[in-house]
Amino acid sequence: MSLHLRMPRRGLSLSLLLAVMTFASTLVPVPVAAHGERATEPYIRTRTVHWYDVTWSTQQVGVNETVTVEGKFHLFTDWPDAASKPELAFLSNATPGAVMTRVESYINDMPAQQSVSQLEVGGDYSFKLVMAGRVPGRWHLHPVLSVHGAGPIVGPGHWVEVTGSAADYKLPITTMTGEVIDDLQHYGVARLQLWQAGYALIAVAWIFWWIRRPLIVPRWNAIRKGREDLLVTRTDDRVAAAMLVLVLVVVIFGYHHATQKYEYVVPLQAGSFKTKPLPLPPPEVAVQMKDATYDVPGRSLRLDVEVTNQSDSPMRLGEFTTANLRFLNKSLAVALAGVDPSFPKDLVAGSGLKLSDDSPIAPGETRTMRIEATDAAWEIERLVSFLTNVDSRVGGMLFFFDAQGQRHMVEVFGPIIPVFTQLQLAQRH
Amino acid sequence: MTENDRAILKVSELSPQAIGWSRTLDLLIIVVAAFLIWSVSHISFLLLGGDWDFFIDWKDRQYWILIIPITTIIMAASFQAIFWNLFRLPIGATASLLLLLLGTWIVRYHSWEGLAYFPISLVVPGTCLMGALVLDAILVLSRSWLVTGMFGATLYGLLFYPANWTYMAGYFQPVMNMGDMTSVADLIGYVFPRAGTPEYIRIIERGTLRTFGDTPTWVSAFFAAFVCIFLYYLFWGLGVLACNARFFPVGERFKSLYGAKGAKDQTAGGPVTQPGASS
Ligand SMILES: [Cu+2]
Repeated sequence: MSLHLRMPRRGLSLSLLLAVMTFASTLVPVPVAAHGERATEPYIRTRTVHWYDVTWSTQQVGVNETVTVEGKFHLFTDWPDAASKPELAFLSNATPGAVMTRVESYINDMPAQQSVSQLEVGGDYSFKLVMAGRVPGRWHLHPVLSVHGAGPIVGPGHWVEVTGSAADYKLPITTMTGEVIDDLQHYGVARLQLWQAGYALIAVAWIFWWIRRPLIVPRWNAIRKGREDLLVTRTDDRVAAAMLVLVLVVVIFGYHHATQKYEYVVPLQAGSFKTKPLPLPPPEVAVQMKDATYDVPGRSLRLDVEVTNQSDSPMRLGEFTTANLRFLNKSLAVALAGVDPSFPKDLVAGSGLKLSDDSPIAPGETRTMRIEATDAAWEIERLVSFLTNVDSRVGGMLFFFDAQGQRHMVEVFGPIIPVFTQLQLAQRH
Repeated sequence: MTENDRAILKVSELSPQAIGWSRTLDLLIIVVAAFLIWSVSHISFLLLGGDWDFFIDWKDRQYWILIIPITTIIMAASFQAIFWNLFRLPIGATASLLLLLLGTWIVRYHSWEGLAYFPISLVVPGTCLMGALVLDAILVLSRSWLVTGMFGATLYGLLFYPANWTYMAGYFQPVMNMGDMTSVADLIGYVFPRAGTPEYIRIIERGTLRTFGDTPTWVSAFFAAFVCIFLYYLFWGLGVLACNARFFPVGERFKSLYGAKGAKDQTAGGPVTQPGASS
């Protein structure tokens, strides 16, 4: 996945990137599997879009067959100042190039061909992506929310294998005027190339008309000796006049022909749609972060939080999730059941969540507890660069479950202190 | 060899053995110049035109029609000035656009289709080649950069839209997608995902030009033509500047070898004539 550049002159920067890519591409083998999901700054990944309930309908599709990725995302309240708020966003996917095609995409069940505007921070939205296999291979398929001014915010990725032959991919459509297009991949290309080849032929004839004669030194000398009259002759004038007429006739004929043939055309469709956040019941639990440390050698995130149960049912903490990593309370069955069998195993931390007190929080009770999320994934996912951020903050979602198994999602965020040595750690606690 | 060719060689006073070498030099310079024109035209266009020509769903009725002519005429004008002033060869504009088109197609197949798996229908390029031919032809007929700028550059800007609509109109047929009406071009852009190019970075018909009734295409084409005139003059001037290279003085013997003996000593100066002086 190439990263969306955050520069205002994106035409220029994309072009530069392309120019570099074009020249470099002949030298460097292209890594097909790796893409930039871990390259995004941790403050973006932990504090902007939190993806949850994401499922993949299958992990193997034939060419032309579809896989559906769907789920929800929560837009984080503690959205970093360094990234633009989600005023304008586009639901996309991360795959290396167009190896899978987009069949349908929805945000809150509304067609998401165009961008969505005015998303609300703090809100939850559902999404659905239907993708079809096009190029055989093993591709890492992620949902992505590209946020204008913040870049692509990549959701959890899962390997999907496309089997079959790329030559079998085909997308036939029928236009509203009844024209049948047998394959969108090749539509209009032959006609365009034929015309452009015709244009090029006229150009080649013109250039050849001139360069067949003695060129550089003789013509240079002739100019210096005042004999320009020899260089452009009466015949050249006639050829130039004929060329002028030919070009005008070809263009006028071609244009007229096209407007006759395609009587009904529409401009490119742009603009954005708007949708309200999902009407979720407010969580009946309040969380206040008291302290947060990241133990660098121990690869452990420790959060001290004050939790208040505002419901009339006892609550237990089942999951902490941030940057697509999921830390589960393994002693809580309902939390474990929340992980869909299709969810990628590498994003579920093996050691789970450690709690200082896992007993149910009684209705009305306020409890201070320590949550420990320890996993090598912090390193692997390159999430530990808290120190390099302008604001050393951490964020994530806590999933509490009441006695009926009802889920209550709450945000948790605040400053974080990295701890480099055991001694420091001992002093701190 | 025509009568005219012989006359030119005679006037040029090349020594007999230098005539053979001169043709070899011509061929070498054609190859070198072709690569030079190609790379300069291509890089300049990538930097300035960029996205509007990459993708079919960027080719809107306003900015595409405006931006492609005005970003390509600058190199067309510069190379035209160089080839006309130094050699009275009216091929600079055509060569610039022809080689740009060739280079563009190579990149579309090699990088876009080959490395990013984009179908060619998503990345078909437009071209200003017809406008470039008009620019060169008018230069021959008028022998004047002033007239060429006035009429040639105007036609250059105006011709881009009709010359490309000829084979691109089909991409703008209406089609249904997920219950909404869209164009075939939009659909191609939707179906084949570009991870680094989210939909919102397209700039489709924004600003005041859009408010001129429902045919913004010709309004844009005329505006493009208008801008082309000024850019033509500006970059013709840049081409002239490039002709003013300075040379090391050479000995009499070498001068007689390449036929410059009878000429006024211009080895330390620029072109003899003023840019665009008519004959
Ligand atoms: Cu991935």
